Amino acid sequence: MLESLIAIISVVIGIIGANLFGFIFKKYSFGLIGNSIAGVFGSIFFIKSIGRLGFDPISIVKNGSINYNLLIINLLVSLCGAIVVLVLLKIIYVKLNNNKK
Amino acid sequence: MNDMLFYDRLQFAFTITFHYIFPQLTMGLSLLIVYFKWKFLKTDIEKYNNAAKFFMKIFAINFTMGVVTGIPMEFQFGTNWAKFSELTGGIIGQTLAMEGVLAFFLESSFLALFIFGEKLMGQKLHFLTGFLVFLGSWLSGWFILATNAWMQHPVGYEILENGKFVLHNFLAIFNNPWLIPAYLHNQSASLVTSSFVVASIGAFYILRNKNLEYGKLFLKTGIIFGLIAALLVAFPTGDWNAKNVVKYQPASFAAMEGVFKTEQGGAEIVLIGQPNMVAKKLDNKIAVPDVLSFLTYKDWNKQIKGMDQFKKEDLPDNIPALYYAYHIMVGLGTIFIAIMFLAVFFLWRKKLFTLKPLLWVIMFLVPFPYIANLTGWYVAELGRQPYLVYGLLRTSVGMSPTVSSGNTLFTLLGFVGLYMVLGLLFLVLVGKTIHQGPTSKKL
Repeated sequence: MLESLIAIISVVIGIIGANLFGFIFKKYSFGLIGNSIAGVFGSIFFIKSIGRLGFDPISIVKNGSINYNLLIINLLVSLCGAIVVLVLLKIIYVKLNNNKK
Repeated sequence: MNDMLFYDRLQFAFTITFHYIFPQLTMGLSLLIVYFKWKFLKTDIEKYNNAAKFFMKIFAINFTMGVVTGIPMEFQFGTNWAKFSELTGGIIGQTLAMEGVLAFFLESSFLALFIFGEKLMGQKLHFLTGFLVFLGSWLSGWFILATNAWMQHPVGYEILENGKFVLHNFLAIFNNPWLIPAYLHNQSASLVTSSFVVASIGAFYILRNKNLEYGKLFLKTGIIFGLIAALLVAFPTGDWNAKNVVKYQPASFAAMEGVFKTEQGGAEIVLIGQPNMVAKKLDNKIAVPDVLSFLTYKDWNKQIKGMDQFKKEDLPDNIPALYYAYHIMVGLGTIFIAIMFLAVFFLWRKKLFTLKPLLWVIMFLVPFPYIANLTGWYVAELGRQPYLVYGLLRTSVGMSPTVSSGNTLFTLLGFVGLYMVLGLLFLVLVGKTIHQGPTSKKL
């Protein structure tokens, strides 16, 4: 039951992370809207693809209680996913637009 | 046990209601984006291109929120409705997987290309990516509706000795007589929401005397699409759906229309009235005689089965909620047609853009198609009760027997809190996009 809640918290951390990163490193920022979108997709992409290694929401609440170590790993991976996707998107965006200038 | 069932249903109702705020806009909006982009290709007038890109930003925000709020749904199939998933997974797993693999990825991949790739691809390919986003979002709706149609009217299945449903005929899922009317009704209703959002933003710009050129374009496009879609929702799609309900779920039809007793001869249509579940009648009703029989069977005197003809355990378990949801949906649908007709009339008379009272009405009308869409879904879901798979699998059998009601309530409260944050973020992002205007290059 808590799995679904953890999945959402993880995405929210991704949104916050992408926006904070964009705020600190302005050259990678798309603004609030773009950063939030990148944060959501980055977080989901990372958790869905590598969460099965043992820190997806289902593993976190295995046996009915929360494994806080796995939860922290999940949130950190979500944060990293958001940042990595934001940076990648910005690089691709700049390259795509420079090529045609 | 009853507590568990109640909280499981409440949690699912809350999360799916919040989720459906977003896809109902994206499906219709994708069609309008394709229209704007097509107009740009045809006329080479830049404002159409800017309109398409502007609404794609709003689409992207909605799509993202739809993705986030969709995540708990997949978990809930396993956590809250484990028995249902175990028994029917062989069937609903097919359509839900197709939704994820085919439609969702098509939609999300080409959304990114549309937003980032205009300069690289050129205008024709850019139009094609927009069209593929539209195709993805409408396919997504198709697979979800195919799943729901199977739950409403199960076809092409076989039940094994262990109670599990397996697919006997794959094509039957897509030839389900429930599917096409439900899909067309749902998509038209989605187009109503999107048209009203477009018209509302247009009215806002005109009233604020800001981005006037775009305000007029959005308002004009929104009300024309809005009128066509609102008419389509009522006829033929709504009529077709109602005929399906009376044919396949007659008990639900009686509850929706508030027909407690079977009358000799034609049945009246109730415009207003309150279900009195103790006296089994409608209080303070205003009704028109014989019209329900005519609308249903094209015969003024044809009898319609009332709720007295069905066993109590086969009737929907919340008749007042079903009755009110249905009447709110129909009432709002009628109001939409009237307002959009009025708006198109004043557009034709060249007075719309200066008619401030009507512009205010159109601007503030925007929450109501959302309410109508959601109540429409409540009608479908409450009407199917007390079954998860109509006539075959009761809701009480499909829940997870080991999850406590306290656990469900705790996570429900968590969802309420998190969704409030997400809802606020959504409003800020959409508000910011509207404030930046259609000519802004910022994402």
